[in-house]
Amino acid sequence: MAHIPDGVLSMPVLAAGIAVSAAGCAYGLKRLHPDRIPQVGVLSSVFFVASLVHFPVGPSSVHLILNGLTGVALGWAAFPAILVALLLQAVLFGFGGLVVLGVNVMNMAVPAVLCGLAFRRVRRAFPGNARAAVTAAALAGAAGVLLTGLAVAASLALSGREFLTAAQLVVLTHLPVMVIEAVFTAAAVGLVLRVKPAVLDDPAPSDDEDGEEPP
Amino acid sequence: MIVHRAALLAVLLLTTASPALAHKLKLFATAQGPEVSGYAYFTGGDRAMGAALTATAPDGTVLFSGVTGNDGGFRFTALRRVDHVLTVDGGDGHQARITVGADVLPPSLPGGTEAAPAPAPVPPSQQAVPSAPPADIQVLVEAAVARQIRPLREQLDAYQDQVRWHDVAGGIGTIIGLAGLAFGLTRGRGRRP
Repeated sequence: MAHIPDGVLSMPVLAAGIAVSAAGCAYGLKRLHPDRIPQVGVLSSVFFVASLVHFPVGPSSVHLILNGLTGVALGWAAFPAILVALLLQAVLFGFGGLVVLGVNVMNMAVPAVLCGLAFRRVRRAFPGNARAAVTAAALAGAAGVLLTGLAVAASLALSGREFLTAAQLVVLTHLPVMVIEAVFTAAAVGLVLRVKPAVLDDPAPSDDEDGEEPP
Repeated sequence: MIVHRAALLAVLLLTTASPALAHKLKLFATAQGPEVSGYAYFTGGDRAMGAALTATAPDGTVLFSGVTGNDGGFRFTALRRVDHVLTVDGGDGHQARITVGADVLPPSLPGGTEAAPAPAPVPPSQQAVPSAPPADIQVLVEAAVARQIRPLREQLDAYQDQVRWHDVAGGIGTIIGLAGLAFGLTRGRGRRP
């Protein structure tokens, strides 16, 4: 579901998606510290591959998204990471269309950034508290999928589909994905916190990470 | 090291994904006589159940609408000899569309519009072949051939969008290359006075 194919959405939605994604990527790249580029590349690869892990749920078939993890690890840099990964998924796998790339990036990267900002805020509120951080990571993993599902349903609704039907379908089929991603994100963050917690601190040169509205 | 760790994750994800890859709604349909049948499926093999299926003529009239069954299948009888544009919609943003051409439907059906021309008549001189087989044998042959080539067509259709390992490797390589390029470029710029 997360990858909407071509020919489903209406023009205004497509244009809005392209605008939001372009702005997000520009902002993400602008504040990206060069030291973090390898990390962005690795998480982009993980995101790229995650969509291949899929399983049947009820009438549909769903796959991992991992945008919560991407957002937690990268913050605003999730935008360029997700853009590159989605572009390659569209070109190489045929997941989602090229024209709707902007909307797909928006639907996955905006929740990712929101999760990342919320996670940073929790870490700042409870410094040194690993349990709080892991709980926040689990919530971020689930919320990333949930928000993406709602964003997809909203995109469909704005293009003339029934919002509730689409939202129910998308959210219900993604309940297992939310659980898996919550566990996965919590495990990944827990391990990083034990091994190298500095990775999750934002080394952005000057300004603080949160307190800003997404575009 | 997160790099190390994430690489491990990627390997883990790759290995768990091996049995069936990919995720895209597809539609397969074939006509046997006037009967059009097929199924909706996700690349990798899972069938799409309960998806809305509509068949429309090129002029926009709805010829058939229904819902795919438990095996993702559907079946209906074509009443007119026109192109059937089949659209399947999962309701959650998945959609696929294929066309069953008028030329695969039996000529005995009434043509859709005045546009459907009669098949170009073969010049009498070339019609030296003694006599065309009787109509009922022709129908039998067509049915048999359709039945025989159906698995082949299914296989081709599924093969078309299969995710292959070289695609995965190429994608990861592209990402690493882009990251390396970005890293190198920003480093170079920073060192200059």
